[in-house]
Amino acid sequence: MTDTATSSTAPATASRGKAGGPPTGKPGAGRPAPGRGKRPGAEHPLTPLLWIGPALLLIAGVVFWPVVEMALTSVREVSRSGVIRGWAGLENYEKLFDEPDLVPVLIRTVIWVVGVVAITLLLSFGLAQLLNARFPGRRLVRWALIVPWAASVVMTAIVWRWILDFFHGMANTIMLDLGLIDAPRDWLGEPGLAWLWLMWVAVFVSLPFTTYVLLAGLQTIPGEVYEAAQVDGASRWRAYRDITLPLLKPAVLVATVINVINVFNSFPIIWAMTRGGPGHDTDTTTTFMFKLLRLDKEVGPSAAMAVLNFLMIVVMVLFYLRAVKWKEVD
Amino acid sequence: MRFSRRASRAGRRIAALGAIAALALTAATACGSDEAEGDGKTITFVAAEYSDKTEPYWKDLISRFEKENPGLKVNLQVINWDEIDGQVQNMVLNDKAPDLLNLNKYADFAADELLFKASDVLPKEVIDDFIPSFAENSKYEGDQYGLPFIASARLLFYNKDLFDKAGVKEPPKTWDELKEAAKKISDLPGDYIGYGLPLGPEEAQGEFQIWMNSNGGHWVDDKGNWTIDSPENLETLQFLKSMVDEGLTQPNPAKTDRADVIEAFAAGKIGMIRGLPQTHNNIADQGNKFKYDVAPNPVNDGQEPTTLGVQDYLMAFDNGTGAQETLKKFLTFFYQEENYSKFITTEGFLPTTQSASDKLSDDEKLEPFIEALPKAKFYPVTDPQWTAVDSAVKQDIGQALRGTDPKKVLEQLQKTAEG
Repeated sequence: MTDTATSSTAPATASRGKAGGPPTGKPGAGRPAPGRGKRPGAEHPLTPLLWIGPALLLIAGVVFWPVVEMALTSVREVSRSGVIRGWAGLENYEKLFDEPDLVPVLIRTVIWVVGVVAITLLLSFGLAQLLNARFPGRRLVRWALIVPWAASVVMTAIVWRWILDFFHGMANTIMLDLGLIDAPRDWLGEPGLAWLWLMWVAVFVSLPFTTYVLLAGLQTIPGEVYEAAQVDGASRWRAYRDITLPLLKPAVLVATVINVINVFNSFPIIWAMTRGGPGHDTDTTTTFMFKLLRLDKEVGPSAAMAVLNFLMIVVMVLFYLRAVKWKEVD
Repeated sequence: MRFSRRASRAGRRIAALGAIAALALTAATACGSDEAEGDGKTITFVAAEYSDKTEPYWKDLISRFEKENPGLKVNLQVINWDEIDGQVQNMVLNDKAPDLLNLNKYADFAADELLFKASDVLPKEVIDDFIPSFAENSKYEGDQYGLPFIASARLLFYNKDLFDKAGVKEPPKTWDELKEAAKKISDLPGDYIGYGLPLGPEEAQGEFQIWMNSNGGHWVDDKGNWTIDSPENLETLQFLKSMVDEGLTQPNPAKTDRADVIEAFAAGKIGMIRGLPQTHNNIADQGNKFKYDVAPNPVNDGQEPTTLGVQDYLMAFDNGTGAQETLKKFLTFFYQEENYSKFITTEGFLPTTQSASDKLSDDEKLEPFIEALPKAKFYPVTDPQWTAVDSAVKQDIGQALRGTDPKKVLEQLQKTAEG
C-alpha cells in the first residue's frame, strides 16, 4: 500500500476539525496532503469512514444495539416461558417499583459502593506509600500485591466461600482452635456478617489496581519538592498534607471513578459467596436484576432494572469523563 | 501527567476487554443459532444434568437409537440445573426452542401453546404404561402435555448412632417427638445438629411442603385455589421458627441448601434430615461411618403420614419443523422398559411407568420410597402460576425464620400465587 501517509492523516484532520481548529468544512479539503502530491479520491469526504467504519460498526454492534434491545425489552411483555406477548408500556417499571425489596436493595447498593471504594482507597494510600519507600524485598512485595489482581475474581470469591463455610470451613476450625469463638458460626448466613465478608473480598480484589494507580501517582512527584519543603522546615505530616495529597489528586480521582464503576457492577463476588441471600439481604441492584430474570423469570421487570442500572452507570461515566477532562485542562 | 494517562489507559483497556468479551458472546450465540434444520429428521434435545452419569447415559442411548434408525439424528445438550431454566427461557425467547426438553415443569409451556400433547408424540401403549397419578399430574386444562420422566419421594433419614447416644429409641412419629429427639441430639457434647432444615434457595419449596403436608396443609385446596396463607400453614411455619429459635437446627436455615445438609448428614454431624433415594449414595460416597435408617415422615395432630412426590418431565415442542415422527420414535425408544429402567437405576430415582415399577420394586433401598408413593402429595405443577410461587418460596420463606412475621411472609406468597 502506497497511500499510507495520506490515509493516516485523514482521520487526524477529521478529528482536529471537530476539536474546533481551523474551519474545515470537509475534512481534508484545502489542506495539501503532506509530503506527497494530491491523490484523487484520497480527499473524498467519506474516506475517513473507511478507517473509522469498522470501529463504528463495532461500537454500534456491541454497545448501542444491546442498549436498544434492553430498553425495548423493558417495555415488552414476555411470558415466563419466554414468549413475547406484545408491548407492556410502563407496566414492567411499575412492577419493579412495586417490589418491596427494591428500596432496601438500592440502599444496600449505595452502602456497598461507598463502603468498598472508601476502604479500598484508604488501604491503598498506605500500601502505595509503603511500596514507594525503599526497603529490601520491595520488588517481592510489589509482585505479591499483583496476585489478587491476577487471580480470577470468581476463584477468589469461591475460595473465600469455602473458607467461611459453616460445616467445613477453615475459618471456623481455626477460630475455634484459637478460642476466638466457642461455637462454629455461619459467617455467610447472617446478613450483617456476610455483608462485611463480601466487602472484605471486594476490597481485597480492588486493592492492587488502586494501589498501583496511587503508586504511579506518587512516583511522579519529584523529590526536589520535598527537599525544598524540608529546607523550609516543614514537618513530615505537613509535607504529606500540602504536597503529596494535592499532587495525588488526579490519581485519586481516576482510581475512585474506575473503582466506583467496577464495584457497582461487581456480580461474581456476591453471586459466588451468598447469591444475594439470605432472601435479598445481600443483594445489590446487579444481583437483584439477575435474580428477577433467572429465578423469577420476569424478563420485563428485569430489563427495567437493567435500564435503571444502565442510567446509574451513565451518570458515573459522565463523572468519569468530566474527571478526565479536568485533568487535561489542568 | 504520566500517571493519570496510564490510569485512564488502564480504564480504556478495561473497556476494550469488555467490548471483546461482548463480541465473543455475540459470536458464540451466533454460532449456536445455525443448528436449525428443517427436514424433521434431526431433533434437538435439551436435558437436565442429574449427575455426571446423565450425559453418558443419553449419549449411549442416542447412538443406539441412531444406529437403529438410519437418517434420524438427535442433537443432545445437557445443562445443569442452575442454568437450565434461564437457558431454556432464552431459547424460547429467541425462537430456538428445543424439540425435546427435560425439566421439572411444563405448564408454562403448555399455557403458551408451545407443546405437543402426549398423544401426539407417544403411542397409546406407552401412555397407558404411565402410573395414573403421575399422568394426572402432567395435564394442563384436561390434556396431558407432560411426559412423566422420573419421580422421587422424601422420607426421614435418621442417624442411629446419634439416636443411641442421645437415648432416643425410636424414630419420631410426631412433630413433638421429632422436636424432643432434636433437642436431645443438640444437647450432646460436640457440635451436633438435631434436625437439618434446608430452607435455602435450592429446595425450600420441597422442605416446606413436607412440613405443610404433615400438618394437613398444602399450597392449594382440592379445587385448585391457593391456600398458602391458611391457618395450618401458619402453624407449620411457626413450629419451624420455634425449632430454629430453640437451636435445634443448624443456624440460618434460610441460607442452607439441601445439598449442604445431606452432605453434613453423610458426615455424621446431623441427627435427622429429609432424604431422597439418592441420599443413600451420598452417604455411601462419604464412607458411611455410622448406622442410619429411613422412617415415614412424622406428622402433627394425628395426620396420616405423607410423602412429597416430585416428578420431572419430558416435553415435546411443536416448532413447526415436522419433527413429530422423529420425536415419536425417539420417545418410544426411550420408554422401552430396559432403556427406561436403566436411566432410573443409573440416577437412583423412582420410575413413573408401571412396567419399570414392577421390575424395580424389589430393590430394598427404593422399596420404602415406592411404598410411600401412593400417598404422595405433589407440587401444584399443573397451575402455570406455580413457577412464580416456587421461585418466591425459594427466596422468601426463610425470612420467616429470621424476624419477618411468618404471617406476612405467607400472605405475600399468597399474593404472588394469585398473581
